[in-house]
Amino acid sequence: MASDAVRAQVSAKWQESFARLNRDQPGITGLLNFSRAFAISLSYLHPRDINDPTVVRSANVPHVRAAMSTVNESRMLPYVLDGYLDEVRKRFNLVQKDVEVFMAEYAESSDPDVIRRLVFRLLAWYEAWTPLPDLGPVILSGYSLTFQTLLFSNLPPTFATGFKALCASTLPSAIPPSASTPTPSDYKMWAAFESLGLIDRFESILASVGYEHIEAYVLEMCKGKWSEPMLEGLRNWMSGKVVPWMLLAYARGAKSTEEARNMLQGVGSRFDFHMNKTLCDLRTNEIFDIIIDFPDSMGALVDLRDCLQRVDQRAELVAALRKANQKRLLHPGAETKLILSQYVATIKCLRIVDPPGVLLFKVADPIRRYLRERPDTIRNIVANLVGDDDTGDSLVDENEPIQPLQQADAEDYSDPNWEPEPIDAGPDFRANKPSDILSTLVSIYDSKDLFVRELQVLLAQRLLSITDDNVERVEKERRNIEILKIRFGEVALQVCEVMLRDMTDSKRIDGHVQSQEESVVHPTIISKHFWPALESTNLIMPGQFQKLQEDYATQFTHFKPDKRLRWLPNLGTISLRLELEDRTVEADVPPLEAAFIELFSDKNIWTIDDLTKAVGAVDRAAALNALSTWVDLGVLKEDEEGVFRLLEVAEEKSALTKGGKARGTEANPGAGGDGVLPPVTQQQQQAEQMRIYWKFIEGMLTNLGNLPLDRIQTMLKFAPGYDQTVEQLGAFMEAARREGLVVVREGMWRLNR
Amino acid sequence: MKVTVKRWHAVAQWRWDTQTSNDPQDNDDDDDDEGNVCGICRIPYEGCCPACKMPGDDCPLIWGECTHVFHLHCLLKWLNTPDSKQQCPMDRRTWQTAERKVPVINRA
Amino acid sequence: MASISAKRLAKELKEIQTEGCPVGVNLLRADDFQTWLFSIEVMGESLYKGEVQTLQFRFDSNYPISSPAVQFLVRENEGIRAPIHPHVYSNGHICASILGTEWSPVLSVVAVCVTLQSMLASCKKKERPVDNDRYVLHAPENPKKTQFHYDDDTV
Repeated sequence: MASDAVRAQVSAKWQESFARLNRDQPGITGLLNFSRAFAISLSYLHPRDINDPTVVRSANVPHVRAAMSTVNESRMLPYVLDGYLDEVRKRFNLVQKDVEVFMAEYAESSDPDVIRRLVFRLLAWYEAWTPLPDLGPVILSGYSLTFQTLLFSNLPPTFATGFKALCASTLPSAIPPSASTPTPSDYKMWAAFESLGLIDRFESILASVGYEHIEAYVLEMCKGKWSEPMLEGLRNWMSGKVVPWMLLAYARGAKSTEEARNMLQGVGSRFDFHMNKTLCDLRTNEIFDIIIDFPDSMGALVDLRDCLQRVDQRAELVAALRKANQKRLLHPGAETKLILSQYVATIKCLRIVDPPGVLLFKVADPIRRYLRERPDTIRNIVANLVGDDDTGDSLVDENEPIQPLQQADAEDYSDPNWEPEPIDAGPDFRANKPSDILSTLVSIYDSKDLFVRELQVLLAQRLLSITDDNVERVEKERRNIEILKIRFGEVALQVCEVMLRDMTDSKRIDGHVQSQEESVVHPTIISKHFWPALESTNLIMPGQFQKLQEDYATQFTHFKPDKRLRWLPNLGTISLRLELEDRTVEADVPPLEAAFIELFSDKNIWTIDDLTKAVGAVDRAAALNALSTWVDLGVLKEDEEGVFRLLEVAEEKSALTKGGKARGTEANPGAGGDGVLPPVTQQQQQAEQMRIYWKFIEGMLTNLGNLPLDRIQTMLKFAPGYDQTVEQLGAFMEAARREGLVVVREGMWRLNR
Repeated sequence: MKVTVKRWHAVAQWRWDTQTSNDPQDNDDDDDDEGNVCGICRIPYEGCCPACKMPGDDCPLIWGECTHVFHLHCLLKWLNTPDSKQQCPMDRRTWQTAERKVPVINRA
Repeated sequence: MASISAKRLAKELKEIQTEGCPVGVNLLRADDFQTWLFSIEVMGESLYKGEVQTLQFRFDSNYPISSPAVQFLVRENEGIRAPIHPHVYSNGHICASILGTEWSPVLSVVAVCVTLQSMLASCKKKERPVDNDRYVLHAPENPKKTQFHYDDDTV
């Protein structure tokens, strides 16, 4: 039994409701009107099946509007709306079916157009179920939210992929370049995206579409192309081709360019950053080869410099270059000359990319330490300085003004241009800052004395090799010395001055001696303490040589009574003519060879022991070497081991004696300094070495069949101590071919089975 | 076979003739030794005195009657000081420059 | 142009470094080409047995043409005294002909050390010079400025 109070409450409620629904209408008309209005509203809002042509939304919009306002007067609209949204949820399976159909089609064809059609279809559903705008923005957004939430939870993961492909297809392709103005249907599609909330939902996909497009373009246009700066072109492309697309995607609603620009600001700067970063990464990966290519790769360096200012990837650049150097440059297979020239190129390149020099400093350190360990670094630098190089390239820029070597200076605070160190500079940074290339190279070592000494040795070698009256060569050396004096200082090169003067004095003295008593001897007379230590020897020149020496020395002392000559018989070159029974042989040979052949004019057969004794005891290897020269020229023959015979009548040339090669041409003077072996022995060593590497090559070819020459070279570089160039390898392979060990066809080598 | 020397580009060092006897002129020395330096500056005769840059005729030697030899410049520096009393630094005899002998040539 | 003294002293120093000093003579300091210090000890039986003296050499830019200024180092407050010898004054100045009229440019620092070492060794009686007190009173700082008379041929 309900209590009275409860009854009263219920009754009050009922009265309230009735009043609300009936309003001020007489009787129950209000209620009836309301009921009708309610039904109309619901019916209008009912999410219909758009596939079904029979169900059509009421066209009588004012009618609906009136109905809704009636409902609104009774404050029952929220109920309508709740009901409506519920219906949307329940009926969403209709949409779902369509989604499934389309996605199945996409799974088969992978055509982005399927997705496009799906989107428009979804738009159709969306628009079909949209409430009246009269109902206000809150209702609209409520509906949107519901619809979108349902949609997103129903879309399969593959939709994202398809969507991405669809967006990408709207980008103007770069190759071949296509029109960049968007079509009206493009515009509609983007509007659809927005309505459906897809742009917000898939924002990161959209951005990634943009990023990938930019990346692909940058890589396509810029990879390997270093001669011109590319940044400006890229920016132009961005504003010309990409921005219109961005407008579609991000700034469709803009009513003015001002507004559009504002809307694009965030995305635009991200894309621009990405473009810089892509280019920066690309150039960082290419940096080693860019340096090799310098100065033809100037454009790439300028780009890199500009990119680094926007994208702080300096640490990555340093790491990449250090790694590349470690792998490709600083290993036993690389010639010192190459390392040096790459180092110099690195200096020039990094100075363009990073003028303060912090990057260079970090990259240069391993190179410098490695160069310091190599025994022939100084020799190479010095040889290049005086133009002794095989290549024409000078390490040191000849256009740089010649100035004295700069030592590392302490901080100069009184300099008005003083600036603090960059923030990523290492602790030694300031301590290490000579600015011209040569000073940088010399500073690899703690003192320039090593350089000066090497210079002296090199100059001595070059001067002693001048065997004729060639005054020009002496003058050329003098000019070199003048330049070097500016760099290294006068005192350091004083000995060089003396060496040069010895050359001119020798000529003058010889002129005088010849005028007194003609002689075939034309000596270079040197001042002992000013030339590098030269090999000493026990060699005694026999026969006519002895006499020639004595006669000349006598004349010399007549000319200069306070002085005498001390011959260095192992140095120099003698130009001989041998008149044999059936032929004449002309040769320019070192003194030892000449001494030996002179002995053969007394006696036709000599043993090597007797020969060495007769000339005052020389090294057996050197003796064999000297004799092999004559054997190669067909003048001597080794009948049995250690016994040599003069061939008055020419005979068939037999196989080469062990070691040594024919040297019928101008020979180098003996030692250049510090007991360096004459070059022939080095050639012998090289031949020996190549025989060792033959084992490698044989193995390679056995296992790998055919190989082209540069492949063989690459693999040999992994062998310890291998330092031949590919040309030398080629010559060796050719020699092997002549011996029948290998055959070659169309550039491919293989073993001869 | 006849061997004809067309041209011989030889290399020789010049030496001051500081021998006091008539030794043959070939391989006679390790002249990095003390023997062949100027007593005053301790620099080898074939080098130049501390004041000069070029050796040889520009920085010659001077022989004394007492058979001692010095760089000319070194000795003159010494003789120009009053303390020297014009004496040879080695034996303190009054310095007398030798008449330069023509070196005796040892010919077989 | 480096001075002749620098070149000569560099050679002497190098020789000391490679060949060492005679017995009883030790190089204490040669940081520059102006002042060098040696320690002198007389070996064997002598009046100075066990005594180690410090000899100071000072060079000007004309060494060896000009003689070095040589004296024994004296530090009163540390108790370092000059050896007692008829030719050695209590301020360390030495009256030796080799340092004065008998100096020759072919001599060397080591030669002087050895000579002074033997001067001490051959001493018969430990006593100061006759005019020691008077001399020391008016002596110049640099012993070369003094006109010594060498009346003793044992030096």
